[in-house]
Amino acid sequence: MRKILVYFIGIIILSGCAGTQSFEPVEINPEIDVCEICNMSIAHENYATEIISLEGDVFKFDDIGCMVEFLEKDKSLAKDEVAKQFVRDSETGEWLELKDAFHAYHPEFWTPMANGIVTFKDQERAESYMKEQGKGELYNYERFLKHQWSWKQ
Amino acid sequence: MGKVINDGLLLFYGCIFFLFIPWNTDAAAAEVTVESDMNLQEMIDHAEPGDTLNIQEGLYRGSITISKPITLVAQNGAIIDGRGNGNVITIASDGVVIKGFTIQNSGKDKDNSGILLKEVKDVVIDSNHISNVLFGIYSEKSSNNIIKNNDIESFDTHFSKRGNGIHLYYGHGNFIGNNRIKNVQDGIYFDSNSKSNIQNNTVEDSRYGFHFMFSEDISAEENDIQKNVTGFMIMDSKNLQFNRNQITDQFHFRGFGILIYDSSNIVIEENEIRQNSSGLYFENAEQTHIRQNLIAANQVGIEFKGDNIDNVLTENNFIGNVVQSKIADKDILLNGQQKGNYWDDYSSYDLTGDGIGEIPYKAGSIYDQILKSHPYWQFYFESPAIKIWSKAESMFPSIGTANVYDEKPLTLPVHFEKEKKNQKEKSKLSLLIYGLILTSSSVFILLKGKRME
Repeated sequence: MRKILVYFIGIIILSGCAGTQSFEPVEINPEIDVCEICNMSIAHENYATEIISLEGDVFKFDDIGCMVEFLEKDKSLAKDEVAKQFVRDSETGEWLELKDAFHAYHPEFWTPMANGIVTFKDQERAESYMKEQGKGELYNYERFLKHQWSWKQ
Repeated sequence: MGKVINDGLLLFYGCIFFLFIPWNTDAAAAEVTVESDMNLQEMIDHAEPGDTLNIQEGLYRGSITISKPITLVAQNGAIIDGRGNGNVITIASDGVVIKGFTIQNSGKDKDNSGILLKEVKDVVIDSNHISNVLFGIYSEKSSNNIIKNNDIESFDTHFSKRGNGIHLYYGHGNFIGNNRIKNVQDGIYFDSNSKSNIQNNTVEDSRYGFHFMFSEDISAEENDIQKNVTGFMIMDSKNLQFNRNQITDQFHFRGFGILIYDSSNIVIEENEIRQNSSGLYFENAEQTHIRQNLIAANQVGIEFKGDNIDNVLTENNFIGNVVQSKIADKDILLNGQQKGNYWDDYSSYDLTGDGIGEIPYKAGSIYDQILKSHPYWQFYFESPAIKIWSKAESMFPSIGTANVYDEKPLTLPVHFEKEKKNQKEKSKLSLLIYGLILTSSSVFILLKGKRME
């Protein structure tokens, strides 16, 4: 019986080693974290976004717009070196992958860098936010990629 | 004949005078006294436009909304308590005056504040003590208001969970003077605001002293900004003017005296920028004019990143900074057309006697370049090996690095106007004392010498 248990534990440990690499979001520390692009300290934690590179480097941003600017304009990290992009639900602070998130967009929505894109976990939440504000446009990932950023002009 | 006409006119004007004056006084004269056992909101609702409400000492619970032009004056600091819900005072009418209150306990949601100005103008907020609120004063699309002599403090928690002391969201032409702000997120936040004037305020123990976003035509004079993360955070703004401000002790790990990002036409004159992690920081700044500032005792005096175009630094004193400036990504010229700046680690000859050294001043060394890729080399700061290497590198440059340099460095520090006066008086007095001591001692020696004979 004991032998089986030892084998069992052994298998669990070994399978853990063999597992594929996983990338998890890193918590924001508002006291020291500043945005990679605009130097602002990340005080509005629920608007924070992150890029984790394949090498495991973490890049933090105060606004989803700064994250896009980092990849499109700044280019200190090539797109194919990106492992994952994380955003947060603006109400609950839950971390989501960018490709799974929904957004409400209107130029008058408040965000730290005034990009006007507010992120939610699901479509319903985004829609109810727009209803509450009485304006806005729903973005899924495909629509988000086509967004016209102010710094692109 | 002429006299008759004149008399007639006088009578006519007299009549008009009498017609108008009593009417006006009737409407404006009403003074209402409010005692602490009355319902303040009801009293406000019953007041006529132009009335003055004298609020007696005491605690008034619950939020209030003012939607007509009236004056509220607190006697002995009457207290209005928002009970932790929403805004404590909402002003929804032009021409309201709020004076002398203690305003406390707003809600903690979104932009809950001590006083909310909701699309109004010509409001005066004077001598109030605002505490335990998310935002102190939130001005939403409001213009031509006066905010003066207030004390503002937010919650006792980390700055990420506090609001701003005074938040100006759109609107223009506001005057903000003599306020004392501490323990907030940002002292004064200019969000798409314009044509405002800020004088004699203090901001302490917060994130940013003044925070500018998408704002323009704002001037700030004689403000005292200390012990925050960053003094002035200037982003996406233009046409700002800063004179005679004191920006000291921003010693946070990522602290700056003044940080300019994506902004243009910024004038910084006669300010004192002392004891910050970085004194001045420029990233994508255009047409800034930095003149006659004291930049002293900072870890780094001045830093550059990205594209900085048409910036002029002239007649500034860089004294006692641990590092004056770092090597940048691109060449940076630090001087104006006529004069450069005084750098206390500069030594050269002034052969022409015009106060300008003959050899350009170069800031930074090869060591900065290495620090960028290997931050832990900071450990070897000022070590003999690094010193020798830097010296050798400056004599025989081997790696092509961009330079931060001043072609017209001054050999003596600049005396600023306000310093000049004091110094003149002092030097006269010291000369007199010195002369007196000299004469008295020489007389003493003479007398003693005579006696010895």
